Amino acid sequence: MASCGNPAAESDALMTRRPKFDHSKECVKCKARNGNIVIRHVVYCRECFLRLVKVKFRKILQPSINEKLDGPRQKSLKASGNLTMGLSGGLGSTVLMDLVAKSYFMRSGPDDNKGGKDHPRKLNEKVWKAGYACYVEVSNAFPGMRDSTADIRAIVENYNLFEFVPLKLEDAFDPSWWNRVGGDPLQSDLGFEPGGENAQEGTTTYATPLDRLRAYLSAMPTQTALLSSVQALVRLLLLYSARSTQSSHLLLGTSLTSLSINLISGIAQGGGFAVREEVDEEWHASAAKAVRVIRPLRDLTMKECTAWAWWNNLTVVGETPIPSAKQGIGSLTKDFIIGLETDYPSTVSTIARTSSKLAPKEKATGVCALCQRPTQFGAQQWKSQISILSYSNHKENTNRISLASSLCYACLSSFTGRNSRSVNRSVKGHDDITSCIPIPLPVWVQSHSSMQSAPRGTGGSLIDHVGADIVEVKKMNREEMKEQIGSYLLDDDL
Amino acid sequence: MASSVSLKIEFGGGLELLFANQRSYELTLPRFVPISNSTSVSSVPSPNLNDTGTESAMSDDDAIPDGLKRVDVTYLLHHLRDHLLKERPELFMDKETVRPGILVLINDTDWELEGEGEYELKAGDELVFISTLHGG
Repeated sequence: MASCGNPAAESDALMTRRPKFDHSKECVKCKARNGNIVIRHVVYCRECFLRLVKVKFRKILQPSINEKLDGPRQKSLKASGNLTMGLSGGLGSTVLMDLVAKSYFMRSGPDDNKGGKDHPRKLNEKVWKAGYACYVEVSNAFPGMRDSTADIRAIVENYNLFEFVPLKLEDAFDPSWWNRVGGDPLQSDLGFEPGGENAQEGTTTYATPLDRLRAYLSAMPTQTALLSSVQALVRLLLLYSARSTQSSHLLLGTSLTSLSINLISGIAQGGGFAVREEVDEEWHASAAKAVRVIRPLRDLTMKECTAWAWWNNLTVVGETPIPSAKQGIGSLTKDFIIGLETDYPSTVSTIARTSSKLAPKEKATGVCALCQRPTQFGAQQWKSQISILSYSNHKENTNRISLASSLCYACLSSFTGRNSRSVNRSVKGHDDITSCIPIPLPVWVQSHSSMQSAPRGTGGSLIDHVGADIVEVKKMNREEMKEQIGSYLLDDDL
Repeated sequence: MASSVSLKIEFGGGLELLFANQRSYELTLPRFVPISNSTSVSSVPSPNLNDTGTESAMSDDDAIPDGLKRVDVTYLLHHLRDHLLKERPELFMDKETVRPGILVLINDTDWELEGEGEYELKAGDELVFISTLHGG
């Protein structure tokens, strides 16, 4: 109960509780039945609610289906490629798959072919030729996690409409997977220095992709960096799989609540420049058709998704949380937003709507080698002005490429963050990792154009092209410091 | 009216994992319970305490004994936490209510329409607790 005084001392201090719904318990749509659910203070009956969910889902997805975007009113829907859905086994993606199946893949009866004799509406014609459900298993990287691939496969096969594409997180470090999805041939064996911002060759000491993945995750300096790097790996695995299945669309089950969490947590981690991509994204891989990343549930809160899943008897396998995920910025933001949704349900929608109006002031200068989102001009200069990453300023090492110049600000901050708590304990097999061996990088980073074209053996990189953009940071000794500020110092005698 | 209330409880969305992985329970609670929501055996009146043996012996207008209230959802939450929950109570309750992110349906209707924790339970009520936080 809300309070506006000291309830212990004043009996009138307690305010009456504000009801969670406006007006009456009657459904606002049909005005005939009693309501079953309250969505952002509005009451709906079960039938009207289920219809509303479908409408909201289609309203987001349909304008983006045809290759040429021409607004919400379209005569026919035909995608230029196949469809890939990212499946995590969680609530959002389970609801997404159900809505996609019911709206676009299940054969409807002859009664659904409405329209006149001369203008039949071809509702039975498929919008996408084929549908793929792609699942990325992360359990091998963390102790105590269960492999859920079999459970997810059972759910996908139950629909008998989609092809199941199981992936593992370690595929991101597997050259054979890279070949399968049609990636450019790998010419180098790049890794990065633990805690540093340079890349160098020689990561062949790791025998299997899983070893490489574990080494990569163990090298993350903070829990937040660990979780965001897992998310980035999953996202890129899905994108490359979508490309390999000739998909024009990749659908993700991000609900309004999850989107607000991702937006706030992304901005908090330095990803503000890519805030638009968090909502809607068109991913251009080299020489291939663009993949549109769409989040069709982004107008539905978690509560709506839960009610849809419950009233449609959907089985939600559930994601096993990554150990020690509680300590990251992402989890703390999640707790905050979920609490907000309970107390002030409209505020969560305000976060998403406000963020969708944001746009970066400057144009992007390139694409991040790691997360493949746009990079901002001058991010490196900003970083070097505000922080000392290393006391030494020498450039003696050979075979070095500046990784920093190829990464976006968010990825660079993740790589170079400092925290007294090591993430090693939450990753399997960390004992094998020694700090002198370069940490492997995902396969797509190695084939990224900036990595291919960077000059070797110079310690320089693409950043040298913008020469003036770099600011030298070094540690001064006390004499040098005194010399700099000497004229401002007062004499001891005064 | 009988001195006890029998209910059907169901858990979904992964919440059943906290309750011995059992999705469905049938419960009988006393009609009157302590205002403090204490569920210890000594403070809870036995279902037979006020039972006169006939349904008609008591009505809704019966005086509520001192220190007691009609059994409501808040009491049920305490009962579930104290007697059926097997692990991590912080994932089920927060202060005096369910943790944010748990959807409660009373007879297939959102509990926000029924007064949330203040809803007085009736015999035969079906309550569903679904976690919305089971991944995304």
